[in-house]
Amino acid sequence: MAEYGTPATRGGGEPLPERDIFEGFDLLIAADRLFGADLDSSIIKKSGKGTPFLVRRHPSHHRMFALWRDLFANRVSPQEFLDALAPEVLGFVHADGLLLFGKDRVLYDCRIVRGNDEVGHLTLCFYREREPVFRFLPFPRRPGRRIVYIEGISLSAQSTGYASSLFRHYERLFHGLGFHRFRLKASLSVGKYYWAKEGFDCEDRKQFAVMRENLHALVRRLGLPVEEQEVRRLNHASMVATFRRDLKIPVYRNQEGYYSTARDGSHGEEILFPLGKAFLLCSDPWDGYKVIYTDTPRRTGFVWSEGFLDHESRPGHPESPKRLEALFTAIREEGMRESLIFLEPYLPAMESLHAVHDPAYLEAFREAVARGDRHFAVRDCAISGGSYEAALLAAGGVMAGIDAVLSGRADNVFCAVRPPGHHAGRDSAMGFCFVNNVAAGARYARSAYGVGRIYILDWDVHHGNGTQALFEEDPLTFFCSLHEHPSFCYPGTGRRMEKGKGSGLGATLNVPLAPHAGDRELLEAFERVVVPSIETFRPELILLSAGFDAHRDDPIAELECTEDAYVHMTRRVLELADRHCEGRVVSVLEGGYRTESLVSSAIAHIKTLQGREGSPCSSARE
Amino acid sequence: MFVGPRMKRDLVTVTPGATLEEASRLLKVHRIHHLPVVEEGNRLAGIVTDTDLRNATLDGMFGGGDRGDSGRPVTVGEIMTRELVTLSPGDTLDDAMLLLSRQRIGALPVVEGDRLVGVVTKADILSALLTTLDIAGIGVRIEVVLRRDVKEAARLIGVLGDADVEVRSFVLSPHGSDKYAAFIRVATIDVASVRDRLRQKGFAVGELSDFYEAG
Repeated sequence: MAEYGTPATRGGGEPLPERDIFEGFDLLIAADRLFGADLDSSIIKKSGKGTPFLVRRHPSHHRMFALWRDLFANRVSPQEFLDALAPEVLGFVHADGLLLFGKDRVLYDCRIVRGNDEVGHLTLCFYREREPVFRFLPFPRRPGRRIVYIEGISLSAQSTGYASSLFRHYERLFHGLGFHRFRLKASLSVGKYYWAKEGFDCEDRKQFAVMRENLHALVRRLGLPVEEQEVRRLNHASMVATFRRDLKIPVYRNQEGYYSTARDGSHGEEILFPLGKAFLLCSDPWDGYKVIYTDTPRRTGFVWSEGFLDHESRPGHPESPKRLEALFTAIREEGMRESLIFLEPYLPAMESLHAVHDPAYLEAFREAVARGDRHFAVRDCAISGGSYEAALLAAGGVMAGIDAVLSGRADNVFCAVRPPGHHAGRDSAMGFCFVNNVAAGARYARSAYGVGRIYILDWDVHHGNGTQALFEEDPLTFFCSLHEHPSFCYPGTGRRMEKGKGSGLGATLNVPLAPHAGDRELLEAFERVVVPSIETFRPELILLSAGFDAHRDDPIAELECTEDAYVHMTRRVLELADRHCEGRVVSVLEGGYRTESLVSSAIAHIKTLQGREGSPCSSARE
Repeated sequence: MFVGPRMKRDLVTVTPGATLEEASRLLKVHRIHHLPVVEEGNRLAGIVTDTDLRNATLDGMFGGGDRGDSGRPVTVGEIMTRELVTLSPGDTLDDAMLLLSRQRIGALPVVEGDRLVGVVTKADILSALLTTLDIAGIGVRIEVVLRRDVKEAARLIGVLGDADVEVRSFVLSPHGSDKYAAFIRVATIDVASVRDRLRQKGFAVGELSDFYEAG
């Protein structure tokens, strides 16, 4: 989990008195460390030693103060800030560090030295995005995210260890100051690979799509043994950077240190690099960003794609695309888009799905969709032309969530996927489910990241029979389901006596609840049975099959829970996850068939994942 | 529903001359409660249960002083039940259920003439019921109360047919003096729609509480 406090924030983020800020300006001006920059930052030019910047007189104290308050909320004084920007790391220090005040931004510039040698240069720019309130009109605008733009960093070779350490320090510092994102243009030869490796991604998804296409083209041109699916499932620049480390390909360097995948007159020196690294070293410049802070105590990812809407059911069918459309609209209306880290799902490699489903079963599903059948296997499982891809994408969505949590890009993730998955078995579609998303995610976490003990908690009102069947002999995957009693509720399994099989005996826990049980009964069972089982199991990752159909307004079953129950369970799961697995929780949408209660419950759940306190349905803070 | 196909044919038996220790060991090893006692030619002579064995042992421990050492039973033949209630393969499971229930016993030997051919236990009857009602399979039970008129039952099935819902089992039983209770097991997650549809067609779709009998 991220650290919330930093040395630069004071008194839990209490703003400093105005006069401290003013005094800070004066001190820096007297020390020749504060100047005014022209509002057009492009005219700020390096011009040799001694006078590195074209500067003007600084703006008035009041202008500077207004900018300081806007960017730093007065939580840090100017000289404290300069000090915090220049830590000594691995023997490197900053020299001639100064602040420049523009109209709407503050710049930091310094030389990087080690001993008596100048080894590089660093320029950062701090500003706030202005976002149009109405999408197509230039005005009015509301203050948006605070940005740290990495204008430039140059370092002599062998200093990337320093850059990594420095930016790790910066990430904590700017998190404490409430900055939302790093941005930069990855253009220097090494930088194009380096920033991706450090967890930066393309903010413009079209640019990323081009990057992925180019990688695919390179793979084809060189005739490399790489499946198209492997490239397709990349959804983050950092995944490109580490792609196929086992495959080394030659690249050619020119005298300026730029790389090319083709040898020509200037690019003569041949070097072998792993595929992903080689590709990025030779790629076009790209615009990178990295999330620092999300306005919420936890950084929560949100897996979403319009592709999930392509699975259509017949009219009157409860599991319709409207469910997700309504949820996404609510995310927008609640102002949660800024505080969530959006994650793209990908079509998973077929091998990773074969860990859960028979190839013949998936093929039969694909064929039924291709034939234009109206349903697959059973009448409940209505299908349309987009159902096969949507179902695969839903499983890939959970995998993308697992990628984000296990690589530390998010603390936890909510996967707003459909069709749901927890009834789907190795070779059976039922109960609106085709591909078992949460099970595919669990198997992927184990094969791709080596995660050992995984706890799957399923609080959909229906028993997760598909997931149970897939893991009932696996002692490392604990499956726990809370649901309405099988004598009254679909699918009629999940009795208390079902406790796992073989070596998995004891790693399945079923908690059936009588019809009309509400929050009190649910939470009593949750605290009495479920919480101790998580404590005892000590999971390394927690997955949630989060259906919201136990809500009292949901027509599909007879439990009578409210949003409060989901908030309580979410909060407790996070506490347990903090204790056992660094807060790693990936929550996967299952059922929930009344739009209003699905949306209010899911929003309350997501806000709790973000670590927000207070009443579940209150609007976002800030 | 004849006894023949449902009975257990692969039997563990003893002879009257077997010792109690031997019988006790067989019950334990095979995790069963009843041992048919057979003589030559598989002729059924009696049955010995774990209760018989336990009683004999307890008698030996606590009542041995009265009868002296020579009175203590040693063989199965001495303690087995000789007057038996038996079935033949041509009897039905109804017969078996009635006998098991009325005689309050756990197992019935099945004989052809006087030859033992099988055993039917309470557990066999339960699994037959589970299969018949399809309780272990995927599905949800819907409970409907309707007028005691077979035309109403036909209408009920018609509504289910129109809903295109997969029915796994259907039980119609008397309910009060002038009604039926229908227990229908359907395999759909959207059982709420099926219930709504039945209500629209005028059927009383039960809640759990409707089926609790007073007292």
